Amino acid sequence: MTDTLRRLMRTPQGALGSVLLVALVLACVLGGAAAPYQPEAMDFAGRFAAPGVKHWFGADQLGRDVLSRLLVGARSTIPLAVAATFSGAAIGACIGTLSAYLGGWWDEAITRTIDAVMAVPHLLLALILVSTLGKGSLNAAFAISISVVPSMARVTRSVALAVRQQEYVKAAIARGESGSWIVLREMLPNVAAPVIIEATIRVAFAVMLFATLSFLGLGAQPPASEWGLMVSEARRFMHQAPWVIVAPSLAIAATAICFNLLGDGLRDALNPRDER
Amino acid sequence: MSPALEIRDYALDYVTQGGTQRVLQAIDLAIASGEVVGLVGESGSGKTSLAWAIMRYLPANAREAPAGRIRLGDTDLRAASAKALETIRGRRMSMVFQDPSTALNPTLTIGRQVTEVLVRHRGLSEREAWREAIQALEHVDLRQPEALMRRYPHQASGGEKQRIGIATAFACRPELIIFDEPTTALDVITGARILELFRRLREETGVAALYISHDLALVSRVADRVAILEKGAIVEEAPSATIFRHPLHDYTRRLVAAVPRPERRLVSDQVADDALLSATNIAVRYQRKRLFRPAPRPATANIAIDVRRGEILGIVGESGSGKSSIARALTGLADYTGRIALAGRRIDSADDMDRGYRRAVQIVFQHPDSSLNPRQTVADILARPLRLYGGDVSTIPALLEEVRLPAAYAKRYPHQLSGGEKQRVAIARAFAARPDLIICDEITAPLDVSVQASVVELLLRLRAANGTAYLFITHDLNLVQQVAHRIAVMRNGEIVDLLGIEDLRSGNMHPYTRELIAASPAPVG
Amino acid sequence: MSIVWLLRRLLTVLYTLLVVSIVVFGLTQLLPADAAVTLLGENATPEALAAVRLRLGLNDPAWLQYWHWLSGLLRGDFGTSMRTDQPVGPTMFIALSRSLLLGGLSIAVMLVIAIPLGMLAALRRGKAADIVSSLVSYLGVSLPEFVTATLLLIVVADHFQLLPATGYVAPSENLADSIRHLILPVVTVSLILVAHVSRMVRSETIDVLNSDYIRAARLKGLPPHTVLMRHVLRNALLPTITIVALDVGYLLGGIIVVEEIFAIPGIGRQLIVAITTRDLPSIQAGAMIMAGTYAIANTLADMAYAMIDKRIRYD
Repeated sequence: MTDTLRRLMRTPQGALGSVLLVALVLACVLGGAAAPYQPEAMDFAGRFAAPGVKHWFGADQLGRDVLSRLLVGARSTIPLAVAATFSGAAIGACIGTLSAYLGGWWDEAITRTIDAVMAVPHLLLALILVSTLGKGSLNAAFAISISVVPSMARVTRSVALAVRQQEYVKAAIARGESGSWIVLREMLPNVAAPVIIEATIRVAFAVMLFATLSFLGLGAQPPASEWGLMVSEARRFMHQAPWVIVAPSLAIAATAICFNLLGDGLRDALNPRDER
Repeated sequence: MSPALEIRDYALDYVTQGGTQRVLQAIDLAIASGEVVGLVGESGSGKTSLAWAIMRYLPANAREAPAGRIRLGDTDLRAASAKALETIRGRRMSMVFQDPSTALNPTLTIGRQVTEVLVRHRGLSEREAWREAIQALEHVDLRQPEALMRRYPHQASGGEKQRIGIATAFACRPELIIFDEPTTALDVITGARILELFRRLREETGVAALYISHDLALVSRVADRVAILEKGAIVEEAPSATIFRHPLHDYTRRLVAAVPRPERRLVSDQVADDALLSATNIAVRYQRKRLFRPAPRPATANIAIDVRRGEILGIVGESGSGKSSIARALTGLADYTGRIALAGRRIDSADDMDRGYRRAVQIVFQHPDSSLNPRQTVADILARPLRLYGGDVSTIPALLEEVRLPAAYAKRYPHQLSGGEKQRVAIARAFAARPDLIICDEITAPLDVSVQASVVELLLRLRAANGTAYLFITHDLNLVQQVAHRIAVMRNGEIVDLLGIEDLRSGNMHPYTRELIAASPAPVG
Repeated sequence: MSIVWLLRRLLTVLYTLLVVSIVVFGLTQLLPADAAVTLLGENATPEALAAVRLRLGLNDPAWLQYWHWLSGLLRGDFGTSMRTDQPVGPTMFIALSRSLLLGGLSIAVMLVIAIPLGMLAALRRGKAADIVSSLVSYLGVSLPEFVTATLLLIVVADHFQLLPATGYVAPSENLADSIRHLILPVVTVSLILVAHVSRMVRSETIDVLNSDYIRAARLKGLPPHTVLMRHVLRNALLPTITIVALDVGYLLGGIIVVEEIFAIPGIGRQLIVAITTRDLPSIQAGAMIMAGTYAIANTLADMAYAMIDKRIRYD
């Protein structure tokens, strides 16, 4: 574990991604406690204040400090997206591994069905799910989790198929090991690494999707300070206060970049071969 | 007259994350016009790096020592500009590569890839080049060259592709051709024919050649002089006629000693006619019959094979002959029809193979890199069969010692071991079960010849101690003649010949067997 | 290309559409709202509601409703919108044509930029051009469409007043105006696509450049531009076809948001309106059309791939 961490920090992507991750985690954990102002505190005198000493990222149409809202918004934006991705990834990974292990007709049927479900764009699937279940952060997270399952299943399946071709799996079969032993003890440790990497990169995608849903009014609901929601609310005041849009946009981008970097860094760190 | 190629005091380093690695040092080599010089070295000796250095195609992290010189005829290659090199490569010096399948562009026709050299260097028009190319392909004994020119590489066999590569290399009548292990990726018989072609062309054209290989026996048959490369330095250089008979340097002696020689038997005992495992009517089928397609051909026809207790049964054949399929059928890795009997007990399908069978019949695979789980330590890998078959986990150090590995290796991961060491762990894993029969599926093929010799010695020692039988699958006829009691010869999924050692000596064999043996003659000396 | 191969591909497309229809129908049937109430409003009389329910077949079991809808689809009847009371099909297909224009232009722009960009990054690997393009790619895949769109609106349309902010003009009406309105949406959609595809092209090109056959071509003394044009290009572009086909999925998703922000009356916009007003037939039709577009795009890509890569057998 520590060995992996050390290797992660050795790559520039891993190091940068980890730094960003720490910043984001701090924002989520501390949230409002770290904010200079109360996020809800309105100040009609200071409406549309430009970024400056008083308000580092400016103030919005109700005079609320943008930075404070951003910090609190981290808690609305990130944890749910992460949870949604990893739960979807876990389910997808099980389906993918099972399909690869079963092979033959079952594998084809499962794969074709996954491909068919993937013919519906992720956003559309999430939109339909949310419109069915009702608006709200939890439903949006659930919808994202479902939309992550098919692509993770595909990735896991192709990794599992490659692992299954390896001779150490054949050696296990030749030893007469049971199916569950082969899948859990021989295949899974080798399948886990690429799947974790893929899942990490998907978190970036989930954060963006979650923000999009909130932007469209179907995810987090006001007065939450979810970042996508902030962009949507600020659209009306584009002319007067563009910074109210720019700040949460940058936050979303930074989060997505963070997880993309982590994924790239993990790719090197989790590879068991020695560096040459 | 200046030599075709002259290398003086050349040294090369690679800069890596782990530090600077010296790959070649103080290389002095000269090839006279019309001469063939062989360069022999094991993996890591730097022989391929020397080829890249001559062709001036080194990777970005290569650092050449300033003093060394490489001259092609009168031209100083190191001083040549990139543009000058473009006119030299392909015209004055060319190269034949190791793997003909990857050396050809899959999206261009074969004809295109031959004519482009002619158009580029001899200034021919497309039409003239096409005609010349057809002639060149005819000259290397390719049938129906016009049709072949229009096809794509994947539609040609390995032997055909290598002939195309040779034709391309000879096309502009270069002064020097570098051959990088041209027969390693080919079957034994195909490779032998390529060597004949090489000899003929060399006589006709008088081109100078550098023939690189790991196979000392092969090189001493094709080259005039041989240079031995060990860890980046040339340790000995001698005419090929004498290097085998009178090796001077220590390393050369070790190499010569490691080369398998059929007349030197390593196994001298007799084996009783006590059948341990017998298989009859075995047909191995890999694909299920799918809709709208004809049933696929079985990998093996109805084969009958038996292994006697304690014997070494060799199985030889070219790729696609079905020898690995038998190994898979006997270990339940492939579907088969037919009957297997182990010490009298009947096994009708893979489901019948219970723990007793599994313990008695073990297998060691070809690729050491993929036969050990990269996420398990050596101890984990060896503990599993011990636990399964009632051994004692505390015997792991003893197991490692049996295969001549230090006990401390138990904590290591596979990527921390060399190829030979990984293969030893795989052998230890097989022996942990104390089996009656071990199937060795081409286990020495990817290893250097000296490592191969030590692995074979290990196998024989373990057999002497445990009385295990081996089903030894290989394509190396010289090796199998050294160790096997009986040899089965396979072709196209059938066993065409089954010989005992006396048959080999008396010459009583199938014509195909004779052809195989002729294709890999015993080394002279 | 054999008939059997084509038939098998067709079967795959049909299976895809079938699964999508089940998924979409199943999901929308979970809607808690009563379709009849949605149509007539909260204050309708119980008799009117019952009449509507009968007319719409809402009392039938789920599988029967599904069957009616599916057989309607096969006849080309996409149902009637609950919002406008107009047939859904024509509305959707006209909207689709506008989205195809937007999408098609975006893909064209993306190909023109991403392929040279990716190849350049691969050829100048590790140097300035590569690092810059990698940074741009990273940023491109980390910005959701609504962020890019909004930022572009602020800077270009609002601040510098260079281009119109929203709206759509058909090319047949006024070509110049049509283009002016489409520039920002196309840029928004293509940005993510360019970022994604150029990274893939870069990595494919690097693999090709490291291959044995490129080394063999260089060692034959061929000049660099010949090696690039004749040997590298074809092999690097082949996988790009597959990537672009997959990206049609991203494209369709992105179009929904972009059409919403830029007020383009395409199929994405129709879907958003349908979803917010719970117009079931429109939702179902729109989803089927999107999935169908994706499936067809993938099949076309497979055919193109098979025609170019000689190793693929069409049986």
